[in-house]
Amino acid sequence: MNAERIFPFILLAAVSPLAAQQSLEYTHRTTGPAVTAAFEKQRAVLQASSAVLYDDRREVNYGVVISPAGHILTKASEIEGIEKLSVTVDRTNYPEVTVLATDPAWDVALLKVAAEGLVPVEFAETSAVPHGTWVVANGVTSRLRRRALAGVISANSRAIPAEGGVALGVVIRLNDDALIVGEVAGGGAAEKAGIRKDDVILSIDGHAVKKIEDIAEILAERETGDLVEVLCRRGEEEMAFHVTLSAKNEMFAGSMSRNDMMSGDYSRRRSGFPRIIQHDILGSSRVTGGPLLDLQGRCIGMNIARANRAESFTIPVEELREIADRLMKQSSAEQK
Amino acid sequence: MRFPLAWLALGFLACTGTAAQARFYVNDKRSPENLKDIEAIQSALQHALPAARAATVAVELKEGSGSGVIVSADGLILTAAHVSMGVGKKLKVVMEDGTRHEAVTLGLVADTDAAMMRITEEGTYPFVEVDRDNTTRLGDWVFSLGHSGGFDKDRGLVLRLGRLVRIANNTVQSDCMLIGGDSGGPLFDLDGKLIAIHSRVGTNLQVNNHVPMSEYVEHWDAMLAGEFTGEGPFAKKPEKGKGFLGVATEPRDGGGMRVTKLGKETAAAQAGLAVGDVIVSMNGEALDSKERLKELLKEMAPGDEVVLEIDRAGETQTLTFELGER
Repeated sequence: MNAERIFPFILLAAVSPLAAQQSLEYTHRTTGPAVTAAFEKQRAVLQASSAVLYDDRREVNYGVVISPAGHILTKASEIEGIEKLSVTVDRTNYPEVTVLATDPAWDVALLKVAAEGLVPVEFAETSAVPHGTWVVANGVTSRLRRRALAGVISANSRAIPAEGGVALGVVIRLNDDALIVGEVAGGGAAEKAGIRKDDVILSIDGHAVKKIEDIAEILAERETGDLVEVLCRRGEEEMAFHVTLSAKNEMFAGSMSRNDMMSGDYSRRRSGFPRIIQHDILGSSRVTGGPLLDLQGRCIGMNIARANRAESFTIPVEELREIADRLMKQSSAEQK
Repeated sequence: MRFPLAWLALGFLACTGTAAQARFYVNDKRSPENLKDIEAIQSALQHALPAARAATVAVELKEGSGSGVIVSADGLILTAAHVSMGVGKKLKVVMEDGTRHEAVTLGLVADTDAAMMRITEEGTYPFVEVDRDNTTRLGDWVFSLGHSGGFDKDRGLVLRLGRLVRIANNTVQSDCMLIGGDSGGPLFDLDGKLIAIHSRVGTNLQVNNHVPMSEYVEHWDAMLAGEFTGEGPFAKKPEKGKGFLGVATEPRDGGGMRVTKLGKETAAAQAGLAVGDVIVSMNGEALDSKERLKELLKEMAPGDEVVLEIDRAGETQTLTFELGER
């Protein structure tokens, strides 16, 4: 390389025949195999300590192995409703998967497979690394081999508020001072809790509600993942429902922005996180849930959302450890 | 023959400038080969980043927002034509820390998406060096900055690292993922030199297109002089006579035109004009008849600045807004 440093003009001339070939081969692009080959050390960590989640034979998401006995963290909303969930770590498929606990605020689930001797990720001390620091995450994989994709920390760490604020996931029809559920968002918070069309909402967490503004006022104080008790009248009966709040814009279709339309595939749940770090790895919504590694192969967080074509969000390792500890304790308490 | 000589001299200076700086060595490898190469990329990126960030701005538009980058200490900004949208338009740019500055759009090249603007507040601004000699090559490592999706103070600028994956006439393509709001933002080489401006993306996620500096260098003086070059598609040339004021008037005894009707959604109404106001002058020209007003409007195009001096119940006010489009 020394000759080139001294004689830049010679270098330019030598390179110019390449100018005829004006498109870079895929393998040398940032996501191409020739480039990701340089991240073999980090790929080996993904091979041992990331989990691939399958719905039958379809790859649905990834996970972070946190114990030798088969405890795995993943993105909770991506495994909802999956009937034939199985998990692959390294080359072994585990067909029996138990969801031990979930954290709706962070959208994290703790899974357990019947394994022993797995290699858990090594947590990094801190996620506070400078912008432009290399990070590595799962790319779309094969049955036997994990693939690594590399990118950089790309923006400030921060909270991501719920898009459109938090909501119950119902459209209210006002009739003679009665708050009647006119529509229930499919797959939304209210539907999951059991609220149906034509139920009349009487109170939320013990506060009587008479106007739509009353509901808005109560919800303005809440965050994604908070549980509220909604008292409804159905026919002659009064019924209480426990609704886990989520982002309004994520429950109602038709709120796609122009940027969403150009983003291809993005995570359904991509807002309402207390804190995230951001990177630019070109993933898809199916490659969240896995670990984000630094160049030493340590886990600096868990990928929680592909927000759009240019931005990916990761739960920082500080919070991830706390979530892991809490969910582990919660599940062992429940087993006792 | 004085002019060509001067040009040659400048060319020579530029060449010596290039000779002083070696190409970043990883760029001459087809792909990074080991940890050392990867760390060299990171270290170059992090070294170049602070100055690049300081010079990158958000551009506030009527609808949405774009990005731009400062290239001189007195506040000259390069951006995309589809961000600036025209010549002589006033707007505001926002530094990463949220400081806002008044700016005005200069010239643009409508068929390649190049444009210039200038901060009009006097000051000394952080700026980046333009790669005037087109030193980048296919496969070079590059990084992009921009206010993706609009200015967000908590998030700050969004960085993306990638490579130059295609080079064509008036366009370079990288695998730095762009999105709305990035338009007009900068693409840098790992020395922190400005090599291109973000322009457009494809529906194929891999396609992220930028306008190379060669296009800016070629049209530099014309843009600086506020010329509108080219026929589109990135900016539409404003047509004289297509402007819309949306005001019905009648002459007032003693000069001026009294407003009798006013379109609610018009720029004039939004700027504060009301029925009953008397327009004394428009852009410094005294008004006394409908014909005079028509004449003046015939010479103006949508987006042109309108300054109305009005008399409201004896009180003189000045309203400034952009002429609407019919």
